[in-house]
Amino acid sequence: MKIEQKKIDEAVQTITGYGGHGILNCVQCGACSAVCPGVKAGFSLLCRNLIRHLLNGELEEIIEDPSSWGCQACNRCTEICPQDVRPQEVVFAFRRYQANEMAFSTSAVTSQMNLYETGHAVFTDARELRKKVGLPAEPPTSAYNEKAQREIQALINSGPMGELGLF
Amino acid sequence: MEKIGLYLGCNIPMKAPDIEQSFRNILPEFGYQPVDLEGATCCPAWGTAPSFDMDTWCAVSSRNITIAEEKEVDVITGCNSCFGVLSEAKHFLEDKARRTAVNAKLAEIGREFKGTSDIYHIAHLLHNKVGVDRIRDKLKYSFKGMKIAVQTGCHTLWPSDVYKVKEENPYYPTILKELCEATGADVPHYSRLEACCGMGGMRSTDVEKSLKLFAEKLFSIKEEVDPDIIVTTCSSCFLQFDMSQPILKERGVIDFEPIPTFYYTQILALAMGFDPAQVAAISQIDRSQIIADMQSERRLVKEVA
Repeated sequence: MKIEQKKIDEAVQTITGYGGHGILNCVQCGACSAVCPGVKAGFSLLCRNLIRHLLNGELEEIIEDPSSWGCQACNRCTEICPQDVRPQEVVFAFRRYQANEMAFSTSAVTSQMNLYETGHAVFTDARELRKKVGLPAEPPTSAYNEKAQREIQALINSGPMGELGLF
Repeated sequence: MEKIGLYLGCNIPMKAPDIEQSFRNILPEFGYQPVDLEGATCCPAWGTAPSFDMDTWCAVSSRNITIAEEKEVDVITGCNSCFGVLSEAKHFLEDKARRTAVNAKLAEIGREFKGTSDIYHIAHLLHNKVGVDRIRDKLKYSFKGMKIAVQTGCHTLWPSDVYKVKEENPYYPTILKELCEATGADVPHYSRLEACCGMGGMRSTDVEKSLKLFAEKLFSIKEEVDPDIIVTTCSSCFLQFDMSQPILKERGVIDFEPIPTFYYTQILALAMGFDPAQVAAISQIDRSQIIADMQSERRLVKEVA
């Protein structure tokens, strides 16, 4: 397979733009993949292998792969990497590329909606449960605080998330 | 009494408020007054803003931190993910260009991130500031003879370069082990001590992969330690251990009874004599028998006035 330099440049620029600044430091040693729980669980395109595809100029070709969403964000890879790639930042940069192209599972939409509307990615009506353990029914968070909710909505609306038409 | 900003996150106040209640009960006993961070939002969780845009992530995280800055307090979290997300955001905000961009966003809602509040996990506060000796002094019940398997969770360990408190070796964590030993219990090592439990993004993306990883860790715990209880300082790990063991049992993947699981401050609150109906009331796995044993008369170490 002939690899076009233009495609490599495009992939590297995209990943760097989304925060994966260390990608070019990678020497494919695989230390990251050796400690990655996602790789262990069977997600194929994480850490070393994801970086290999990206450095081969593949971006659109792998946009539908769900592996990046299986990343636990644990940063074992960052700790072990001898080249200061910070592989998790590359994985998340790729995930950001996917997200901004709307290439993510519909199940991930609920938590975005929850975050936007209540300030909590995980939201349930816990008022009875809280009273049962002797706490005030409403937590002192944004959950029942309209001013806080307006603030988070303003922060989300002023960035690219606000332009995706999710809310 | 020293004030400390209590950052709740999502899972603890909504799914496990008994863990929140355990924080509120024990902290004053050690000289810390938990201060509510009114209007705090999600940290934001890895699967939300951090998956879309760095500046939005940093803006939402730093908005939470500004609430603590206004009150001139440091922050403690109970959720490992919150600790990781807030600590990383704070680290990213050391970049001047990033901070300028994020503060421009915050200015629209009348806030400014200054970086004056530090981020700790409650385990750090208990281990490094309170210390195991002062914990021992507060015990009403001793857990001597009990065997605990510990689960530290990922997001207080790596990447150690962004955290205020670091383990000497994050692949061989000892903070939670020492905190548990302070209750008198034995905390044997097991080979998959630092392994991931499979909760988080992995579980929402592919529950079968998550359960497979979880089962491997669980077998290691059962075969190598055979503990009376599992204790964690991560609310996500807590949820995984508590909700997924019964699933594995029902499927016949495990042939032993699910092991009762607690958040660390719950067992500490129980050891200090607090009411289990408030501090350890919510779980899928039945914990009533072990809780009764933990607060039984034979375990009394002294009368607390």
